[in-house]
Amino acid sequence: MLIGISLISFFIMHLAPGDVTSNEASFNPKASEESRQKLRELYNLDKPVIVQYTLWLKRIVKLDFGRSFSSHQRPVLWEEKDKNGNITKGLIQESLPITLLINLLGIVIIFSVSIVLGTLSAIKQNTWVDRSITLFVFIGFAIPGFWLALLLMYWTGVANQWLPISGLHSQGYLSLDSFSQTLDLLKHLILPVFVSSLSGLAGISLYVRNGMLEVLHQDFITTARSKGLSEKKVIFVHALKNAVLPLITIVGLSIPGLIGGSVIAESIFAIPGMGKLFYDSVLMRDFPVIMGILTIGSVLTLFGNLIADLGYAWADPRVRKGIIR
Amino acid sequence: MTHHLSQSITRAMLLFFLILLITSCSNNDPEVIDYKDYYELQSGGNLVNAMVGEPSNLIAMIAGDSASSAIAGNIFNSLIKYDEKLNHAPELAAKWVISNDQKTITFTLKDNLFWADGKALTSEDVLFTWKLVTDPKTRTPYASDYLLVTKASAPNPKTFVVTYAETYAPAIDTWASLHILPKHILENEDINNTFFSRNPTGSSYYQLDQWISGQQVTLKANSKSSQGPPNISYLTSRIIPDTSSQFLELTADNIDLMNINPIQHQRVFPARKDLGRKINLYKELGNGYTYLGFNLKKEPFNDINVRRAINYAIDKDEVIKGVLLGLGEPVASPYKPGTRWINPELSPYPYDPEKALNLLKASGYQKNEVGLFAKDGKVLAFEILTNQNKQREMTAVLVQRRLKEIGIDVTIRVIEWASFINRFIKTGDFNAVVLGWSLSLDPDQYNIWHSSQQGPGQFNFIGYSNKNVDKLLEDGRKELDPNKRERIYHKFSEHLLSDSPIVYLYAGYGLSAVNKRVQGIKNPAPPAGIYHNSYEWFMPKSLRRNEMAN
Repeated sequence: MLIGISLISFFIMHLAPGDVTSNEASFNPKASEESRQKLRELYNLDKPVIVQYTLWLKRIVKLDFGRSFSSHQRPVLWEEKDKNGNITKGLIQESLPITLLINLLGIVIIFSVSIVLGTLSAIKQNTWVDRSITLFVFIGFAIPGFWLALLLMYWTGVANQWLPISGLHSQGYLSLDSFSQTLDLLKHLILPVFVSSLSGLAGISLYVRNGMLEVLHQDFITTARSKGLSEKKVIFVHALKNAVLPLITIVGLSIPGLIGGSVIAESIFAIPGMGKLFYDSVLMRDFPVIMGILTIGSVLTLFGNLIADLGYAWADPRVRKGIIR
Repeated sequence: MTHHLSQSITRAMLLFFLILLITSCSNNDPEVIDYKDYYELQSGGNLVNAMVGEPSNLIAMIAGDSASSAIAGNIFNSLIKYDEKLNHAPELAAKWVISNDQKTITFTLKDNLFWADGKALTSEDVLFTWKLVTDPKTRTPYASDYLLVTKASAPNPKTFVVTYAETYAPAIDTWASLHILPKHILENEDINNTFFSRNPTGSSYYQLDQWISGQQVTLKANSKSSQGPPNISYLTSRIIPDTSSQFLELTADNIDLMNINPIQHQRVFPARKDLGRKINLYKELGNGYTYLGFNLKKEPFNDINVRRAINYAIDKDEVIKGVLLGLGEPVASPYKPGTRWINPELSPYPYDPEKALNLLKASGYQKNEVGLFAKDGKVLAFEILTNQNKQREMTAVLVQRRLKEIGIDVTIRVIEWASFINRFIKTGDFNAVVLGWSLSLDPDQYNIWHSSQQGPGQFNFIGYSNKNVDKLLEDGRKELDPNKRERIYHKFSEHLLSDSPIVYLYAGYGLSAVNKRVQGIKNPAPPAGIYHNSYEWFMPKSLRRNEMAN
């Protein structure tokens, strides 16, 4: 499976014209074609694609993701130490933590807010509350992220200096204690997380709303109500539990998405994350980095599917016992 | 119960919005500073600027991207530099002497040169750097100029001698662009994969203080600088890929300097008086120009009348006004306006549609029933290719409109850079392109115009070939006397304009916006640009930003 995925991605990448020696900066009369040919040979780019793929495969089975072409031979995945003890960090190693943090925060926010909004609109079905929530999540879904981001940056950063505009740290943050450093980082993350979560609300909250409506019409809810349980208990203990079960699948399937960042959001907020890394690598035809990210992505996709299935079985005894599949 | 629940949530939400409203009303106006005309020089401070890309590494001969060379330029020295008026001037070398046969250059280094770590900088380092750049194992695209050196030696610690097989006039320029690297650190390192590229030791005004990957690169003043200390103690380059975000940071006073575009320069700043009060604008000509180039090997561009007709049919002033909002200069020679290499007698083809029509008719073209020119049943139509660059796209549209007016049908295609080069330029599979050349300061343009440079991947991809021009380019490379070279390149420009293998469109201004807390910037910019004297800039204490560190 993984070999299939990597083989296809490898070939698609090499179908695109050009390689790392043909970036815009090298279109410079001072850079000769002979030198570029020499570079191609040094990177094995002159060999047939299938030979290049075999070379790559030989390294990857040893978990060696290789070195980037365009950023001066930096390791793709993880740091390396040279003979003098100087450490060179890996590209993915440096970009991944911040992307993970933003996406995790985003998922937590999306799911918690969506469950609240979805439940609320289900209880208040067809009232103004329901309609305004639906309107709100759809506006959030439809609004262009970059536009909203720029407006918010202007409002919170220029017109009122509440929040930093871009980047991850303030100038001179290294002189702060670790608590203030964390606070500084969180301040920088408010806007990016907010903007990236907003578009995710629509899907999940409607999912919760519909799940809730379906559950509320089932017999056991009527039973619970007729037992004289408080409405609070009926909704939060009996109905909600069943309504959010399908969300487990969604959480599982969003695991591979955790390592993918949005190029647009990362560019606007100047966050050095995975989206920007991948995008730049594609433009530079930096094959080792592209393949590294794709491989990790496909491993996580397979892993996420597994987690979703297991999680479902864990949460729902009916699945475990084979009553429903 | 449900009623109660939703009520409390609604109430909480209302409260939240109320708080937002209240806080947004308490808009604290930033204090307005009254800038004086004159400030006492005070050293120190931290200048924060913005770049769109992160440097790939700080060894310029390997890097090649503009972010890398911008930062490495503050850390490393070359033997020679260009002064304010773009003449050669001493940097590490105090003087250089050219032998009588014009094949040997002897550089004498200045006294008391040191690396930032305190070790002496000698001609051994220069020799080492030359060996490095010419080593076949070094992954540099810039080796060819230095491979022309047949013999290099360092007879004593202050002398470096290079000998060329034959006179090579651009040689002096090549020694102004090669950053000298420290032998004592790199001797046993693999230059292609060394910590040095992210933690360099140089000899120029600044040394690396801190590099936070993907976020910022901070330089601090180098106390052992070969050129004396700079006034500003720290240079911070923040990496902000989006220029709109950069602009917000500039208006919020978080950065001091950024490159802006013509719309910001001509529209936003005049409309926002508050910005003008704290930010100065500068413009300087870049060393390059944008052009419409023809594939001379193809019909109909092998016909000089067609090329000239197109040249007459394009209104260059309109392009400059439309695309650059007036922030550009027309060009008639392939050099930077204002330098000695520009032939003052040449002027661009004027906008003259009448002449264009006559030229086309002279070549046998007739208007067909839909008003397009055609010859032997073939309509005069072609495709302009350009890469994803807003200014070039807009330029192509204006060209398209003017050519349509005289009866030439033009389509436009915009392509991503790597595909553009590999699929179309290298294969010669194009009609016309809108592109730009950015040039070095030496007038030699052999690689671009000599008829021998037409192979795949070489730079005369339009297929220009003129025996007179070939001869001039060959002579220009062998002539070291600047006055004689000037005559050669004036003549070359004349041929080029007359043959019209490309239509010169414009040389655009580079635009910078700099916070007024940075003082000492020359305005108007000298030919070498505003950064030329950046080591003399300073930030008066009273204007400095309050920062947690420094």
